[in-house]
Amino acid sequence: MSSPHDRSLEILEAGIHSTVQDFPGRRGYQARGFFPAGPMDAFALRAANLLVANDEGAAGIEITLGKFAVRFTCETTAALTGAAVDATLNGEPLSLWGTVHVAAGDELRIGMAKGPGFRVYLAVAGGIDVPLVLGSRATYTMGALGGLDGRLLKKGDHLSLLPSTTAPRRYRFEADAVPHYSREWEIEVMRGPQADPDFLTPEDLSTFFASPWSVGHNSNRVGVRLGTTHFTWARKTGGVAGGHPSNILDNGYPLGGINLNGDTPVILGPDGPTAGGFVVIATVVGGALWKLGQLRPGSDAIRFKEVDYAAAASLTRDLEARLSGEHLVEI
Amino acid sequence: MEEASQACVIERRPAAGGKPSVTYRYAGDRYLLAEYGEMNFDLTLNFIVQAVDGALQRTPFEGLIEAAPGFRSILVSYEPRSCRLAGLIEHLDRIYDGIPDEKSLVIPSRRIYLPIAFDDSQTREAVTRYAQLIRADAPNVEGGTNVDYTVRYNGFSDREELYAAVLGAELWTAFIGFFPGLPFMFPLDPLRFIFVPKYNPTRTWTPEGAVGIGGPCYSIYPVESPGGYQLIGRTLPIYDLRQRNSAFKSDPILVRPADRIVFHRVSEQELLDGFADVHADRYQYRIEDAPFDVSAYLAYLERIRPEAEAWRHAREEAAQRTPVA
Repeated sequence: MSSPHDRSLEILEAGIHSTVQDFPGRRGYQARGFFPAGPMDAFALRAANLLVANDEGAAGIEITLGKFAVRFTCETTAALTGAAVDATLNGEPLSLWGTVHVAAGDELRIGMAKGPGFRVYLAVAGGIDVPLVLGSRATYTMGALGGLDGRLLKKGDHLSLLPSTTAPRRYRFEADAVPHYSREWEIEVMRGPQADPDFLTPEDLSTFFASPWSVGHNSNRVGVRLGTTHFTWARKTGGVAGGHPSNILDNGYPLGGINLNGDTPVILGPDGPTAGGFVVIATVVGGALWKLGQLRPGSDAIRFKEVDYAAAASLTRDLEARLSGEHLVEI
Repeated sequence: MEEASQACVIERRPAAGGKPSVTYRYAGDRYLLAEYGEMNFDLTLNFIVQAVDGALQRTPFEGLIEAAPGFRSILVSYEPRSCRLAGLIEHLDRIYDGIPDEKSLVIPSRRIYLPIAFDDSQTREAVTRYAQLIRADAPNVEGGTNVDYTVRYNGFSDREELYAAVLGAELWTAFIGFFPGLPFMFPLDPLRFIFVPKYNPTRTWTPEGAVGIGGPCYSIYPVESPGGYQLIGRTLPIYDLRQRNSAFKSDPILVRPADRIVFHRVSEQELLDGFADVHADRYQYRIEDAPFDVSAYLAYLERIRPEAEAWRHAREEAAQRTPVA
């Protein structure tokens, strides 16, 4: 199948849920019912792109849990980032968070990520060449669009690569620049849009911030499902919007919003609903959104840390500084 | 944590000069929620939302990424590194100041005419599957249809009365959301207003084009999907990423906020032929520009107030006699 000019990847093993994603995903379409899709851990994909000298918006592969293998049909550079995982190139151990040269015919394999962390990202020089759908290559499986035919990758798929123009130099991230992964996460949020005193009592919020929350088994790109809770609520009912006090007249939802559907909080992920009629009591700030992609369903625990606007901005500054290139070491 | 109390409200602007209040809320550090008026089920608030959203789209602002209208709110997404929050709020305030009060609003709007086949075999199939797989004893699935339940819950004497209410209604698209292309629509005429509880629990399959009602809201399912609204029939595609019909050439989503949908009745065979014609680009959707004059609408509401109250009472009494789904 492959010609000398063919620049592509062949999927040898696809894992349980691997998709093509790009950052920041499908922006500008929320008013039409599209949440952005895109990488659930955007930091890791942007970092992988940086290591292969791609634009940060180049499409890469989001691999859930691991068990993934590809063959390269061309000489190029690649990088793996994200959850710690045993990785090999032609059987030789390979480090994450660094650039690697590959030759035509090389096979890159990763095992199972044992944690902490849940998702691994693969970037290849040039980026994955799938059609732009509404301005993005991000896969949105529920809508069957973007990525490769709007679906999960499977064994035997061929993914073309876009041309890469940059000279292939190799880098690694300084250890300090790699975010800290954990099994007990602290996630920075801002209160609202619908918190106390109008919807919940101040005591409800205190309970929310003081409690450890478990990451539910059925958490995925649509949402991270937390354990159930019983809030007191500041209102008896949702009034015109419905019987339960978590009901409001439908409004748009923010990415990373903590949505209270009855008594079950769900953190809205990149494939989540764009709007709905339940309160969002707190919102994960931009600088902490990457953590959602690394939460392990069924085992990790979360505590939410309330931050103000200035602290959220400083978190973003810190994260962006790590992606500035100043923390790359040439190897 | 004293300073954190009420931390989610950035600013409240009281009602003034005939215009409702505005509440600006934090939704993290990259979104702002602007709410108009109080939490009332009042379409006038949505007219204001549409006017503000329209002006927002016409007025570029550094760092503003996108705006998503809800029933009485707009969620604004912005890039905090290039956009000062205080500046964004001033921008939204200026836009709000610039729109006329509700009595002189004229909102750009289109009327879209769509066929509907009532109680067709595909929506009946969805109801039958639900009864077989999920909940056989639900009061809304008797006879393998949601139509009779909707008739009973609203106190109509027969199906034809329900169908007349649907066909006579002009449905206002308040916003698009939840899922790509899914419109949330409300009858403008209180005399055509219908209310019916949603499924409990929800349905796992709904055919493309199904027309449903949940609470006071109508919707059309853009693709096969789960759902919770009572199904009354089926219409033509309103979403096609493959853009097989000219109507989808510039945009894969047919219905936009502020559009009004008007249904006309067809047989199921005509609807199925319509699907084939849409996909072969032989069908031409009938869409006309029809700016919406809010003052004329408010005057109509005033004229029919006693009648609308009587209909609401009759409907609520019927609902009391009907089990909740």
